[in-house]
Amino acid sequence: MSEITLSELEKQYGETTAVEDVSVEINDGELLCLLGPSGSGKSTTLRMIAGLETPTDGEISIGEDDVTDRPAYERNTSTVFQDWALFPHKSVLENVAFGLKMRDVPAEEREERARAMLERVQMGSYDDEDPTNLSGGQKQRVALARSLAVNPDVLLLDEPLSNLDKRLREDMQIELREIHEDLEETFVHVTHDQDEAFTLADRIGIMADGNLVQVGSPNEVYENPKNRFIEGFLGDTNFIDGEVDRVTAETVHVETELGREIVLPTDEEPDIDEGAELTLSLRPEILSIDQPVSAQSDGGQTVLADGSTTNAVIGTVENVLYRGSTVRYSVSSNGTTMFVERTGASTDALTAGDDIRIDWNGADVLAFRADGTRVSL
Amino acid sequence: MSERNSVLPSSLASAWEPIADQSRSNRALLLMAPLIVFELLVFVVPFFILLRISFAEESSDLVYAEGTWTLQAYVDVFTSGLLRSIVGYSFMLGIAVTLVTVVIAIFYAYAIWRSDGLIKSLLLFSVVLPLLTTLVIRTYAFQPLLSPTGTVNEILLSLGIINSSIQIVPSTVGVVIGQTYIVLPYAVLAIYSVMATMDWHVVEAARDLGASRPRSVLEVVVPQVMPGIIVASVISFAWSVGAYAAPDLLSNSISFAMQVEDLMLSGLRYPLAAAFSVVMLVLMLVCIGVLFAVLNRFGGDFELA
Repeated sequence: MSEITLSELEKQYGETTAVEDVSVEINDGELLCLLGPSGSGKSTTLRMIAGLETPTDGEISIGEDDVTDRPAYERNTSTVFQDWALFPHKSVLENVAFGLKMRDVPAEEREERARAMLERVQMGSYDDEDPTNLSGGQKQRVALARSLAVNPDVLLLDEPLSNLDKRLREDMQIELREIHEDLEETFVHVTHDQDEAFTLADRIGIMADGNLVQVGSPNEVYENPKNRFIEGFLGDTNFIDGEVDRVTAETVHVETELGREIVLPTDEEPDIDEGAELTLSLRPEILSIDQPVSAQSDGGQTVLADGSTTNAVIGTVENVLYRGSTVRYSVSSNGTTMFVERTGASTDALTAGDDIRIDWNGADVLAFRADGTRVSL
Repeated sequence: MSERNSVLPSSLASAWEPIADQSRSNRALLLMAPLIVFELLVFVVPFFILLRISFAEESSDLVYAEGTWTLQAYVDVFTSGLLRSIVGYSFMLGIAVTLVTVVIAIFYAYAIWRSDGLIKSLLLFSVVLPLLTTLVIRTYAFQPLLSPTGTVNEILLSLGIINSSIQIVPSTVGVVIGQTYIVLPYAVLAIYSVMATMDWHVVEAARDLGASRPRSVLEVVVPQVMPGIIVASVISFAWSVGAYAAPDLLSNSISFAMQVEDLMLSGLRYPLAAAFSVVMLVLMLVCIGVLFAVLNRFGGDFELA
């Protein structure tokens, strides 16, 4: 078994804290993505699992063993580095066989296993090459083969795809996913690219400022973010500032900078006071656009037939950004700029200056307190 | 050409014209010309004079008899037991100093490479510092340090580690220590200059794949810094085989350089001194050739067992 338990992991470099408090259990055979902006401590966390950094505080165990104080070479983890770190003076085959050599596998057997691993990553014909002559994608494959050749309990990937171009990166994501499904080993993958995390991960751990903020399935962290940072980090959204006007058993009324009251339906009375400052998140995918409307249309709240509350706002299109599969409009309403998106061909093109009505379902709006925490509605 | 004319005076520009027509490699040759002339004058020509003297007969009233040809000096070199033992001693010194120096230099360079900030500056500075004192003084300094009544013996005696003082100087061990101290800065700088270009991640990758600390250095660092190790070895070896100051000051033995000086200045036996030097030069070239061949093999993957 190779589940990994990190408890209250902390790493300091002198005065700077790289990792403040990371606790998570990574299941056996799981692919966990640590996602966060640069400097969030995700690479340092990975390096502590690998044994390349010693935690200042906290514990790491892999399977049943506490490995906190074990050096990298006594852990059965294997890392694919961001710059791949291939041994420049060894051939591709010698690179892949290196870990087996360190495990005292006889020369013949390790060569055979290294060849098989090279075949698997489609680099079989490159065994005699000097790794410095390979392209980025090829180096990446060799590095992956080198790490997998030792049959690690845990494979650690430190942004190995970030130096590849977009197309190659997407191909490698799918390939990594397939390799993970074949091997059923525990993978921990560090990335700053949310698309990559969503493509690969069984679960995503989101890191910010040295803390693991939320761990959950891609769907869960996207739909149900714990705080404002995550909501902003995972994709684009419109943050609208406002102030709580009235709280009832079923609704929260927020006076917003859009100049309109936005009504959020609730199941139970939320933990928020009247007069508190809130930030609402309106993701582009919950917003729908009505064709240009005449100015006298009312943008206020309407109650639909099924009883749910719909909110709407009127705005003027300021900018049209053509982005291939989608078109993004930035819309100004009461001096606040929001953006909405439509798939390109779906409706008639809007142009700058058009007045439009933006609708949404109040239940889809997420609300965050001034300190960033989410208000459960 | 018009551009060039505006920069250069017309007389220079006309001188440039035939040069500009030369191919690139010819121009490079032209740039190297002063160096080639210098080497010819101070090395190649004197070497052939030396070679010529080595084939001359000895003379009773001159340092050698001009215009004569004989192999007598070479016969003397190969038949003299004294000279043969001096050759053995010099090469033994060269090998011992080279081994000790290169091993220490690898560790020292590694320490500089892995440190940063003030410690790195201090380590680098302390490599260069000994070079600021003259060679004779810093070699002679080992006498009061290592002699039977010297500082090291005093300390060891007072700590009770030894019962009676050890004679490190004068002895061959003293020479190896002194000569190592002379060549170490050059060896460290040669190895460090290559190591500084290395990527630390490569060592981490080796550890990550199960290589212990010593093994990761042996498997990954040493092969990569081999060019530096070769340079350090050649400097240490050539200098130590031809050592003069350290054997003279720190031992009673006679090194090759001391013997040649003795033959020339005291014995006035130029042909013998020249023949001895030529033989040593050939032996040294053979050794360095072997050194290159052997060390280059370690540049790639190699079996430990």
